[in-house]
Amino acid sequence: MDHFPTNWGRPRNDAYDAYGTYPIAQRPQNNPKDAFSAGVQHTQQPIVTGTSVLAIKYKDGIMMAADNLASYGSLARFKDIQRLHAVGNNTMIGAGGDMSDFQYIQNMLDELMIDEFTAQDGLALGPAEIHEYLSQVLYARRTKMNPLWNSILVGGFKDGQRFLAYVDLLGTTYSASTLATGYGSYIAQPLLRKAVEGREDVITEAEALEIIETSMRVLYYRDARSLNKFQVATITAEGAKISESKSLDTTWSFAEGIRGYGAQTQ
Amino acid sequence: MFRNTYDSDNTVFSPQGRLHQVEYALEAVKQGSAAVGLRSKTHSVLLALKRSTGELASYQQKMFRIDDHVGIAIAGLTSDARVLSNFMRQQAMSSKMVFNRPIPVNRLVSSIADKAQVNTQEYGRRPYGVGFLVIGQDNSGPHLYEFSPSGNSYEYYAMSIGARSQSAKTYLEKHYESFADSSLEDLVRHGLHALRETLQQDKELNVNNTSIGIVGPASVHEKAVPPAGPFRIVENEAVEPFLQTMIAKDTATGAGAVPPAAAAATGDEDVQMAG
Amino acid sequence: MTSIGTGYDLSASTYSPDGRIFQVEYANKAVENSGTAIGLKVKDGVVLAVEKLVHSKLLVPEANRRIQTIDRHIGLATAGLLADGRHLSNRARDEASNYRETYNSAPPLKAVADRLGLYVQAYTLYSSVRPFGISTILGAVDKDGPSLFVVEPSGVFFGYNGAAVGKGRQLAKTELEKLNLAELSTREAVTEAARIIYLVHEDAKEKEFELEMSWIGTESGGVHVHVPKDLLQEAEAAAKAALENFE
Repeated sequence: MDHFPTNWGRPRNDAYDAYGTYPIAQRPQNNPKDAFSAGVQHTQQPIVTGTSVLAIKYKDGIMMAADNLASYGSLARFKDIQRLHAVGNNTMIGAGGDMSDFQYIQNMLDELMIDEFTAQDGLALGPAEIHEYLSQVLYARRTKMNPLWNSILVGGFKDGQRFLAYVDLLGTTYSASTLATGYGSYIAQPLLRKAVEGREDVITEAEALEIIETSMRVLYYRDARSLNKFQVATITAEGAKISESKSLDTTWSFAEGIRGYGAQTQ
Repeated sequence: MFRNTYDSDNTVFSPQGRLHQVEYALEAVKQGSAAVGLRSKTHSVLLALKRSTGELASYQQKMFRIDDHVGIAIAGLTSDARVLSNFMRQQAMSSKMVFNRPIPVNRLVSSIADKAQVNTQEYGRRPYGVGFLVIGQDNSGPHLYEFSPSGNSYEYYAMSIGARSQSAKTYLEKHYESFADSSLEDLVRHGLHALRETLQQDKELNVNNTSIGIVGPASVHEKAVPPAGPFRIVENEAVEPFLQTMIAKDTATGAGAVPPAAAAATGDEDVQMAG
Repeated sequence: MTSIGTGYDLSASTYSPDGRIFQVEYANKAVENSGTAIGLKVKDGVVLAVEKLVHSKLLVPEANRRIQTIDRHIGLATAGLLADGRHLSNRARDEASNYRETYNSAPPLKAVADRLGLYVQAYTLYSSVRPFGISTILGAVDKDGPSLFVVEPSGVFFGYNGAAVGKGRQLAKTELEKLNLAELSTREAVTEAARIIYLVHEDAKEKEFELEMSWIGTESGGVHVHVPKDLLQEAEAAAKAALENFE
């Protein structure tokens, strides 16, 4: 029951006093619903964010790439952030979304791997187990209305098997031979599919790198939250490796001719 | 019974550094009927002797399935066993849920051993009065473990627990070197022979009093076992073909057609919890 | 042990008239009844070795470990009640993990030994619990280099260059004192540790035992792992040979 007579008989959306015509204490929907609601706040948006992660299957395993940028809104805030993280010898994760949440996840997984190591029974968590674990954690957090704001790719190679799967802040999972998060899922995914699907067992490492680099270049052209400085990871029978940061040659001369972008005034 | 100053409490060390309450709990395990476990390169098996309190009573359950890949045989307080096996099932389910991985058998056994240890150190509790033989298979193949109320767990090639288990142990120690390369049928036969050693004079193994637990690919005597060879309990008529494979003892006890063991087993019942 | 039966030895929360806590002393007895464990802190690492008494030939060799891993770089060997050892190693893992969570860096061994000492001490205060029936050797290579500690049932802990607990500790200590530990390499220490364990086992020759050894050092990549099989066998062979010369 709404005990404010001034609210009676109004359309629901009108109950919102857009112009602040009431004294603060009486303003509709301005009263805290419970005494602690201001004290307990859950994540409602990401703050410092990373953009796309790309990953494909190829002959020898999985290749994954992500750039080194962490944005603060539209500001390119941190340019040396690593968004790929090896979990043990057989697994690599790459994340877009909130970077502090991602760092939390990294710590959590590192702790988990130490627990596994200290059991000293020769059993180690592989990519499939890590992915399942992540999906359970992310889903549990979202059901508490307090998500870890990431979309994550999990790639791995264990016992001769490639593994590649996706999990996000909702706990949604899927698997495919090419995956991309964020902006990359619109821009790069079609390119990756065209280059990889049906050829997973023939693509060499050099070829895979070319496919990844082509897509990273397109993303750098198209995605305003991206950076031409990125790392590439491979997970093969030899283990999980992350490259040094690298950049690609790009051409921007065409921009001169774009109205509102180049130097022209008209 | 003897009595001494240091045996009424599990939080008291004797001057020799012993824990009498724990030692008494180990005695409770010996009150239960025997269970035997063996392992080859491909299979682990359990064999247990079931008791019944009389002709009108059913036989006491001796084996419990924990998960597809793990099962246990018990000796001692059945109610304690039910609590612990429930806990094991929860651990197994949790591993499946969180990692989508069947729980490694050694970690499952350690988890109940760690629980049991606490009951040997804190006031107001008593140690569990039950011992387990645990069989299971994981990435590293089939395994056999013993869990005991002291909070210890060990991995064995073969082991026996419960009443007169020493006789079974003697049999196992004599033959264990051949178990690794045994077929499932030979392994079960060895197990039955070992279990037979724990019987009282006039008793015999039969379809009513014998349980067999198996992990590993199916035997020729089994039907409808999935290829992964999950844990299953073979009981009643299904035990018959395995019993047939036994070789009669060449002793003069006349192990021919002796009447079934259902006859009153006085002073031989499983220890029951009061109430 | 003149106070046996006087009633002052039934609880960890009771002093005897001369100020002793008998329950803690009895816990030490439990330690003395078990196989020997030793630890060597040397130039570039730490070696732990345990005389594991084998109570049945049906046991699977190497499967039933007495040396635990606490963190990547920390190992723990116990002498005494095996189940208590597992309890304490679980606690040590929790402490190490808690340190990592708080400081985001690998725990120095002293921090873990310190916290473990506090934990063990708490079990000497109350009648509602009994003390731990184990002595614990902790070994690690942390940011300050190799390090070795022993935590006793009373909760006290000391740092050592060479440590021995359990039944044969006196003889083992004498042998450890003969070594120039600061000059030894980890690999050499493995051989010496094997020799000492074989030597102290001479007193209980009729009992079967298994030598279990682990190390932390540059050769193990700075992590605590069991000594590789070939090196273990080599060390065992050398130990047996040395034993014959000794006699």
